[in-house]
Amino acid sequence: MHSFGNLVWNEWLKMFKKRSFFLPYVLLAGMVLFMAFMLYKFSGGSSTGYEFAQLAVTTKGMGQMLTLLAIVVTAGAVAKEHSMGTVKLLLIRAQSRTKILASKYVAILIYILTLAAFMFVVSVLTGQITFGMESGTVAIGDVLREAINNLVYTIVYVTLTFMVGILTKSTGPAIGIGMFMVIMESMAVQLLARYSWSKYLLFTNVDLSMYSGGGSSPIPGMSLTFSIIVLAVYLLLFLTAGFVTFKKRDVA
Amino acid sequence: MNGNGSKELTADNTAMGSSASQAVNAISKSGTTNAHPHLHSSNKSNASDDLGDGMHSSVIPSTNAQNSPVVLTVQQVTKTIGKKNIVDGLSFDIYRGEIVGLLGPNGAGKTTTIRMIVGLIEMTQGDVHVKGHSIKRDFVQAIRHIGGIIENPEFYPYMSGYDNLRQYQRMSEGVTITRIMEVVKLVGLQDAIHKKVRAYSLGMRQRLGIAQALLHNPSILILDEPTNGLDPAGIREMRDYLKQIAKDEGIAILVSSHLLSEMELMCSRVVVIQEGKLVTERSIGGPVVDEELTTVTFRVNDAAMAEQTIRHMKDITLLATQIEEGIVTVQLTEEDIPALIQSLCDARVRIYRVEEIKSSLEEEFLKWTGGNRIA
Repeated sequence: MHSFGNLVWNEWLKMFKKRSFFLPYVLLAGMVLFMAFMLYKFSGGSSTGYEFAQLAVTTKGMGQMLTLLAIVVTAGAVAKEHSMGTVKLLLIRAQSRTKILASKYVAILIYILTLAAFMFVVSVLTGQITFGMESGTVAIGDVLREAINNLVYTIVYVTLTFMVGILTKSTGPAIGIGMFMVIMESMAVQLLARYSWSKYLLFTNVDLSMYSGGGSSPIPGMSLTFSIIVLAVYLLLFLTAGFVTFKKRDVA
Repeated sequence: MNGNGSKELTADNTAMGSSASQAVNAISKSGTTNAHPHLHSSNKSNASDDLGDGMHSSVIPSTNAQNSPVVLTVQQVTKTIGKKNIVDGLSFDIYRGEIVGLLGPNGAGKTTTIRMIVGLIEMTQGDVHVKGHSIKRDFVQAIRHIGGIIENPEFYPYMSGYDNLRQYQRMSEGVTITRIMEVVKLVGLQDAIHKKVRAYSLGMRQRLGIAQALLHNPSILILDEPTNGLDPAGIREMRDYLKQIAKDEGIAILVSSHLLSEMELMCSRVVVIQEGKLVTERSIGGPVVDEELTTVTFRVNDAAMAEQTIRHMKDITLLATQIEEGIVTVQLTEEDIPALIQSLCDARVRIYRVEEIKSSLEEEFLKWTGGNRIA
């Protein structure tokens, strides 16, 4: 267990020591502030602080930006080791490949968690300062739920990107495919919504915020539990494909 | 020490060249040949003494090594890609404290073999045991005895050398910070260790590569083309490190390379493979039996006169005379060399150079592998 902690710490340092480490934080904070400024300026500050925060963290709002940034960070995790050639020295240590890959995944999850937490705090603070503390229809719990929904959304796409990065060994396709999926998602949902089998697709289930407004599910037979199960199955699939490939791969 | 070493080497050569006309007993070596231990010990007084001592360390008699415990066993290792056997039933052992060269023409399967040994590539058949642990079934236990540099060592360029070593230190049990500083000192990187690897020269990266390979006190070092891209001074430095490590710490070393002269200077044994199969296994620079005939060339001012003199002597076979170049090639026992030189002096033949001709590893290699055809 101690040694696994060391591995995760190693992976964390590999991200942290890069100059680009803080860039996603800066971008997210910048965008939240910019949106607050625009809203304040042009809509006359009609919304409350928590309403703004919810808008900022939700997937349909700016949460998707977090997903895209996370995809960029994730894509390089395994692919860069291959392209830099460092994978050769990494895999001849007294550690199993499964453990090494798991440590990478865990480090990425921690990174995303810090990003999401950071965005949550910045959004709430900005909302409170710009639009005032009075409570409207939205409470802090609602903001938190949207942030968690967006975290799930991000983890699903990040896991997909992680897998593509392992399979293709290169950063470009991993970023490309990851982002393509995110962008294609809403279109695919609209186009395929009339087929009942589309409820088993990743796209239709990935955004859990559709259940939060108490609105009806997009396709009959879908519920929060159903979506969570479908997502879990997809995650397992991605991770299995990634781990099996990584374990069996000949590093030439 | 290595900078000085190469200077000494140059100094030696110059000294030999200038004093050659009078130093009739100076036996210089042709550049590519391995040192002849016997010759050197009998010529302690000559200018190449220092060089000779340097060469001695490379001549670890393989008989000693064979008595040492086996560190690495390669058993019938086969790698099949498609229908082709890249490596085909390859077996060899490596003993404690010896430096073994893995030789072969391009495409012979050297790199594949090395990568199978360190577990980067899965073997189709056969197994590799490191100190009794199978790399296939007990990877973690087996790999902990291996230190490796696979091609040019690649590090995280945005981290310092120290941070890179810390990465590997965290991955190996029982390696302390003190040990990091120990290996850093051993490879002479103390001054640069806190600089970013991005700013390192290839030579420095190689040194850092050796440092990471030695970090966890391995029993065997496995190096794939370790001198690739290094300049002559870097190559010499690398060779000195490796020899020192093998001698002082008893670490076995397996090196793959196609630089034959390099291997000749470094290794005590070579394993030659071609098309994935073992061609031959040879010890290099073993003790030479006294009665053995050696081939020697003399460069003199009057080859015709020298030839006449030689014809009058017994037990000396004249192999060739090049009158114009003033070169006479003879075959004789070592004991007869002083007598021959004496006779030549008496005949007023001026001797500029006496060289021993040994068939170099390169020639033998081409013999074994049947020329330089690309597989």
